[in-house]
Amino acid sequence: MSLSSPADLGTAPAATSSAAGAVSLAARAVGLRKVYGRTVAVEGIDLDVPTGSVLGMLGPNGSGKTTLIRMLLGLTRPSAGTAELLGSAVPEAAASALPHVGALVEGPGFHPFLSGRENLRRAAAAEPLLASAAIPGAVGSALERVGLTHAADRRFRGYSLGMKQRLGLAGALLVPRKLVVLDEPTNGLDPSGTRDVRRIIGELHAGGATVIVSSHLLAEVEATCTHVAVLQSGSLVAAGELRSLLDAGTGGLVVATPDVDLALTTLRDAGATAFRDAGDEPAVVVSDGPEAPEIVALLVRAGVAVHEARRRRPRLEELFAQLTEGSS
Amino acid sequence: MTASLVEQDTARPTRTAAPLGRLLAAEVRWVLRRPRTLVMLGLFALIPIVIAIGIVIADRQMGGGLIGAVAGNGLVLPIAALTLSLTLLLPLAVTMSAADAIAGEAAHGTLRGLLLAPVGRLRLVGVKAFGVLVVAFLAVLVISVVGVVAGSLIVGGGGDVVTLSGTTLGMGEALGRVALVAVWVVGQLAAVGAVALAISSLTEHPLVVLASVLGGLIVFGVLGAIPALDWLQPWLLTSGWAGAADALRDPLPLGGLGESTLRALCYVAIGLGFTAIRMQRRDA
Repeated sequence: MSLSSPADLGTAPAATSSAAGAVSLAARAVGLRKVYGRTVAVEGIDLDVPTGSVLGMLGPNGSGKTTLIRMLLGLTRPSAGTAELLGSAVPEAAASALPHVGALVEGPGFHPFLSGRENLRRAAAAEPLLASAAIPGAVGSALERVGLTHAADRRFRGYSLGMKQRLGLAGALLVPRKLVVLDEPTNGLDPSGTRDVRRIIGELHAGGATVIVSSHLLAEVEATCTHVAVLQSGSLVAAGELRSLLDAGTGGLVVATPDVDLALTTLRDAGATAFRDAGDEPAVVVSDGPEAPEIVALLVRAGVAVHEARRRRPRLEELFAQLTEGSS
Repeated sequence: MTASLVEQDTARPTRTAAPLGRLLAAEVRWVLRRPRTLVMLGLFALIPIVIAIGIVIADRQMGGGLIGAVAGNGLVLPIAALTLSLTLLLPLAVTMSAADAIAGEAAHGTLRGLLLAPVGRLRLVGVKAFGVLVVAFLAVLVISVVGVVAGSLIVGGGGDVVTLSGTTLGMGEALGRVALVAVWVVGQLAAVGAVALAISSLTEHPLVVLASVLGGLIVFGVLGAIPALDWLQPWLLTSGWAGAADALRDPLPLGGLGESTLRALCYVAIGLGFTAIRMQRRDA
């Protein structure tokens, strides 16, 4: 409800009828709220995750990302509001959606005395969509996909943090999924592991699956996600397509000029907010004020040599900082 | 393309639960792969052997009661060993496996995985109860079989059994009595396991389960020993636990064993009922 940007995920016009919603949305939260004692962990979140998107869930520690994911998956009962997964109400009808959902939530959970392969076999035995005969093959290919074949028969007890994380990822990929939920998948992974996660998310996306990934690595999200949702103290402060969010962000206009001081005085006299660009080239950044053509005309009239003027697209990191600092 | 995918799905309803047999098999495999289960079963095999050796060494210096009756009476050994273990060791084993079954899985984060697979919450209680029952059954089986073998080989006394009533039972009937006690002990352990599962569903610390169930059994034992509180006896699970000696009387009095079995079944119903209700709402 705090969202009014055109990129708002919730503005899908067909979402009102539940049948249409089932087709277009992989996951949906309506007024989700969770209270633990006196602590409000999640405060009335409305979020639509379109089918086929890769949604990056961002937010500082304790902003409610994991609680929101847990409510979407039916692991935690919401205090208020409803959740939907692949068109089924959660938790009431979660059983029909969950077979198509792979999840790695709150770290990999496995038994230390079993090997990675045995742990996965046990998990696979509970997967409704796997035929019993297909289990060894599915386990083998999931292990290969996360690059863990060499350590598959070692006990989980002896795994490194990154290997544990990879095994958790393999658990989410045992069955071809329609929705994969990854909570901090790159925790403890080395750079090649991070690349693998990016590759796997790319493969899932290319295969038509929806991916929800929560992360604090903004560069990762920027590289892999089509949509983002930003949480802050339990509330959703922004959600939408990554590109339009970045375009709509207050990046401002960058004007490259050798006469930085003259440009600044001219712009400030005209009532614009302008400051020196931190980059290597001499330039000013106009973050608020008249439209771009007017700014350029103004500068040229004042005798400022304008080499280049371009719209500045903020990086996700800046956008994130603006969103999470502004509302706290 | 999306539309055609969706049509396919509605035309062929997909499974929403894994086959129950596969789940039970996976649970039993998990229980039996756990090192502590195996160590425990190995130690249970030692109990009848230790008692047998003790009896042979003591050479009929024993007093009356069950242990005394074992001397020269090999097939009484499994019954004595079961009775002795039922006071603490067997409940400990069952409680440990019940603690691992829910609290332990929650602590490892694997309960989450099972619920997300998804395994229905009610079904999960059934699977877990089955796993605990398997441990109880195997522990009793190990004691009984090793007891029979050690009884015949170490204690001796041939196939016949002299009952506490003074009559003699043939080997077939004696083995029947052993089996009867074994089944009765499994029933009592099922009651302990059900209560342990109920506590296990409340916590994610296996030690809490172990401490509360064993503490509870000790309190039951103390309460049962206070004459002024004898009106409590019918409610205490432990009050019938000395009753296995009945199996060595002739003719066989079934009242005590029947009553304690009935009491155990009540505990099972309450324990599993509570577990099922609690698991419906449990966060994982």
